[in-house]
Amino acid sequence: MKEILKCGLILCVICVVASGLLAAVYSFTSAQIDKQNKNETGEALKQVMPRAIRFEAVKSGEEITYYRCYGKDNKVNGFIFKAKAKGYSSEIETLAGLSLQKKITAIKVISQNETPGLGTRVTDETFSQQFTGKSAGDISQVSAISGATISSRAVIKSVEEKLKELQKILK
Amino acid sequence: MKLERKEFIKGIIKENPTFVLALGLCPTLAVSTAMSNGLGMGIAATFVLLGSNIFISLIKNIVPDRIRIPCYIVVIATFVTITELFMKAYSPALNRALGIYVPLIVVNCMVLGRAEAYASKSSVKNSIMDALGMGLGFTLALLLISGIREILGLGTFFGYKIIKSYEPMFIFALPSGALLVIGLLMSLFGLLKNKKT
Repeated sequence: MKEILKCGLILCVICVVASGLLAAVYSFTSAQIDKQNKNETGEALKQVMPRAIRFEAVKSGEEITYYRCYGKDNKVNGFIFKAKAKGYSSEIETLAGLSLQKKITAIKVISQNETPGLGTRVTDETFSQQFTGKSAGDISQVSAISGATISSRAVIKSVEEKLKELQKILK
Repeated sequence: MKLERKEFIKGIIKENPTFVLALGLCPTLAVSTAMSNGLGMGIAATFVLLGSNIFISLIKNIVPDRIRIPCYIVVIATFVTITELFMKAYSPALNRALGIYVPLIVVNCMVLGRAEAYASKSSVKNSIMDALGMGLGFTLALLLISGIREILGLGTFFGYKIIKSYEPMFIFALPSGALLVIGLLMSLFGLLKNKKT
């Protein structure tokens, strides 16, 4: 009985010290982590819609369905949406910017964990540049990357489907 | 001083954690696709190893034998979480590249192995030397593997293209390439080790 108490007490002390340390480090870094996360989304949004200066998230419930972009004159000058699809070995998330005419301005793959050297090439500019100027009807003309067919088709398909879905509700 | 230096040196070739002790192979396979990932992982693991070795060597006399493993895991997990938080705050790109393998340092057998086999029996000073040596050995091993894989598999060195017309051998970027490279390097280290003794 005494042995159990002693062991429990020692383990308890170690855990208390450990959690104290973690709490200290957490409170020290949390502000910086928040800033990094915000920066990251902001940067990605800017990259697909360089001419916008302000972004407004349009939500349905908790989920963000798309972003409305505002230019210098405070008028809506485009939209941004996020498309998701299963690639070869991971979920690929893509941000796509849309002009008011519902044509794609640029896309950017923001999250993927595809095969290094093959599937990861969906992040290359030579692939993503093909999307520029396309509308929902002709996205399927984008050619897939050889050696990374599944990954690139996932990006193409997800953007096409999401665009078709959103086309009617964007305003 | 001589003994401490020996504790430090041994981790690099004679008891190299990856090639000779064969500890921590899982993250080695996964993160060695690019040199920058290998370096990041090496530094992260070295920091955790240093922290846990110091701490465990300090508490070795007050921790009863039967609960030593949970105690070690708590200490290691604490240092891993600290490392992860700092990485998220100051190097989010690296954190994303290493992904799940940062939290998984907790169960990296290299860290627990050194705690159990070395730090729990040695002085703080020797434990520091052991951690630094093992960490350096692990980092060098990761750099060597990821260097070979990145150059052959992607044709780049730390992300910079070295030969323009080179057509990469993708197999080295894939897990099978990692196994090949590690196997060949292991036999090479075996040869080096046998020659020395």
